[in-house]
Amino acid sequence: MVPLWQVALVLNLVFALGLGLGYAAWGRRAAALDRDLDAARAQLERVERERRACAAGACTGEQQWEGRGVVRAVYPQLLIVTHEEIRGLLPARTTSFRLAPASAAGARALRLGEPIRFALRGTVLDDAAVVAVDKW
Amino acid sequence: MSAPLLAALWAHLLACVVLVGSFGVVLLAGIPATPTARRWDASLVRAGRIVVVLGIGCGIAWLMTRTAMLENRSHAALEVRAVMHVMLDTWPGLVWLARHAVLLVLGAFLVLTADTMERPNWIAARGEAFVLAALALALVTASSHAAAVAPGRALAIAADVAHLLATGVWLGGLGAVALLLRRASAESGADARPYAVRTARRFSHAALIAMVILIVSGVVNARAQVENVAALLGTPHGHLLLAKLVVLVAILAIAIVNRTRLLPAAASPDAVARLAAFVALEATLALGLLALAASMTLTTPARHAPPVWPLPFRLAPEIVFDVTLARWRVLVGSQLVVVGTIALLVSFLLRRRRRKLLTVALVLIVIGAGIGLPPIVVDAYPTSYARPPLIYHAGSIASGAVIYRDHCAGCHETTESQAPLAPDLRSPAIARRHAGELYWLVSHGTGDMPRFDARLREAQRWDVINYLRAVGAADDARMLGGSVEPDRAWLVAPDFTIAVGPLSPAALRDYRGRRMVLLVLYTLPGSRARMTELARIYDALWVMGVEIIAVPMHGPRDAIAELGASPPVLFPVVTEGAADIVTTYRMFAPRPHAELLIDRQGYIRAIWDDGGGAIGAQVEALNAEKSPPPLADDHVH
Repeated sequence: MVPLWQVALVLNLVFALGLGLGYAAWGRRAAALDRDLDAARAQLERVERERRACAAGACTGEQQWEGRGVVRAVYPQLLIVTHEEIRGLLPARTTSFRLAPASAAGARALRLGEPIRFALRGTVLDDAAVVAVDKW
Repeated sequence: MSAPLLAALWAHLLACVVLVGSFGVVLLAGIPATPTARRWDASLVRAGRIVVVLGIGCGIAWLMTRTAMLENRSHAALEVRAVMHVMLDTWPGLVWLARHAVLLVLGAFLVLTADTMERPNWIAARGEAFVLAALALALVTASSHAAAVAPGRALAIAADVAHLLATGVWLGGLGAVALLLRRASAESGADARPYAVRTARRFSHAALIAMVILIVSGVVNARAQVENVAALLGTPHGHLLLAKLVVLVAILAIAIVNRTRLLPAAASPDAVARLAAFVALEATLALGLLALAASMTLTTPARHAPPVWPLPFRLAPEIVFDVTLARWRVLVGSQLVVVGTIALLVSFLLRRRRRKLLTVALVLIVIGAGIGLPPIVVDAYPTSYARPPLIYHAGSIASGAVIYRDHCAGCHETTESQAPLAPDLRSPAIARRHAGELYWLVSHGTGDMPRFDARLREAQRWDVINYLRAVGAADDARMLGGSVEPDRAWLVAPDFTIAVGPLSPAALRDYRGRRMVLLVLYTLPGSRARMTELARIYDALWVMGVEIIAVPMHGPRDAIAELGASPPVLFPVVTEGAADIVTTYRMFAPRPHAELLIDRQGYIRAIWDDGGGAIGAQVEALNAEKSPPPLADDHVH
């Protein structure tokens, strides 16, 4: 017959191993699933932006972001805007954006402090350009 | 609080505590060698099985009652889906599952019949039962108030676990000790008398250690969950804690009698029976203590509940700043109390002339208190420590200024033709009074002053109080200059809304912990040159951790366009709601152009009207601070 103290020892080992393996097999997996879900959501949003860009005649791989802001400065090829969060691209802040040739003429008519809606197109932030500007 | 929920929680907590205490006592007692002691040991194991079943049963009742409360319908308690939802999809439910799994293992372990005659086996059997019971009890912390404390959660959880385990070892063991002593006091149990007395002695030592742990962890818990005297005296949670302390003192008194009188004399059967009766009385009081502890678990922690001050007076040490005579009386009185306290401590160490010195010490303390306390005793009201529902915000302060002008200034302000009919509410002495007291006086009136609770809404009354506090703060702000005083932050910057056009507005407090803010109140064309300079150095200031927020004092419709394009002004310019900010901050800096440097914690640290080249040095001084103050509170006190 197995002595009781050995049974107690095995029971405690089972507890410790159960907790450790439970975390390794279930806790870590749950955390990984959370990360996968976030990545899938981001991917879905990206696909939606690509679909919008594609519908507007953009090249493959380009995305389109929509934003709202207030004009702070206008230059021939640059538009500086204090904007709200642009989902998937930037938090709320003041940013200078490149003006696409098609929108440059419209941008020149903007006044300082004017509230606007704008669309950015590109593959990443660095090559994104303003392709459309409207009064808000 | 639901009575069935409280009853279920109390019984469950009691079961866990009794299991920890009983097996703790068994381990302290050691292997039983006599027939009576063996019977006692076996009866505790049998009782343990029943207690585990009761604990699990009460736990299930608790879960079902909790489900009914969360679903807000009594039938939900009997719906398997609803109960499973609470058990698997809520944090308390998961903790419940873990604790009951442990209790189930403990129950299975106790049901096993094993040979425990050998010492290692006996220790393993009782030790394992103790460890499992302690684990089930300690896990209560995971879904308690302690687990919700932030910051300092780790310390709060450690203190709560220590508190629970000490409770288990001391109070949970009383029943087992009483049972052993009672059996040993009988004629048939004489063989176990030395074993029982030895167990009682060991338990007494362990209880002393447990009591010290209880007191220390209790103080840590109280600091985390009660925080101050107002919360202790003015909330249901605080009242329960006070009641718990009263019961604890009674238990301690009996414990002292047991330890110093009855235990040393426990040789005869009568003495052992008397000791058993006193320990049983202690255990009965412990039942009440656990009921109070369970009630506290189901009550909002005192620090989060609005306190209702129960006394007609309170101590206001800050009054010594305004009254010179009071300062002297408090100084003399406090020194007498210090001398008296030292004399009191010395009297405990002396053997000769102890009584005389004790009398002198007490007389000194009473005289000191009589001299020092009266000047700092002020009238108090139920809302004296109430926390304002409105934060200290420019919008509230500006509204309060208008309400003050319309309803209060007529009596409280000096006019050209006559002196004020009532004290000037904007004096620093008034501004230092608790916001809750001013709220009570405004609401209920005092002397000839009418009550305003029917004329002004609650929010409007708090607006007036925010305004009065801002006036007091603005008076103090005159001491601030253009240079930062390192490590001296005391002037809280009223919060305000930063709205640029129709964009979602931000707030000053959004910058806390992240950036310093240079608040610029400007007027054009006078501020043109300075605004141009700030636009040029904005990049450098941004790199140094400063955000500039500009607020036009002259209220133009197109403030951004008015500042012009060259150089481009890229920092936020408030275009909506600037009037509230101007009304509030002009009290602090009444100039056509003013700049206020607000640190990362939300305190105004310097005020100037020209800025010049000094700003870089002031920002450097703030960046170099080694011990930044705590984040400013958004409420007045």
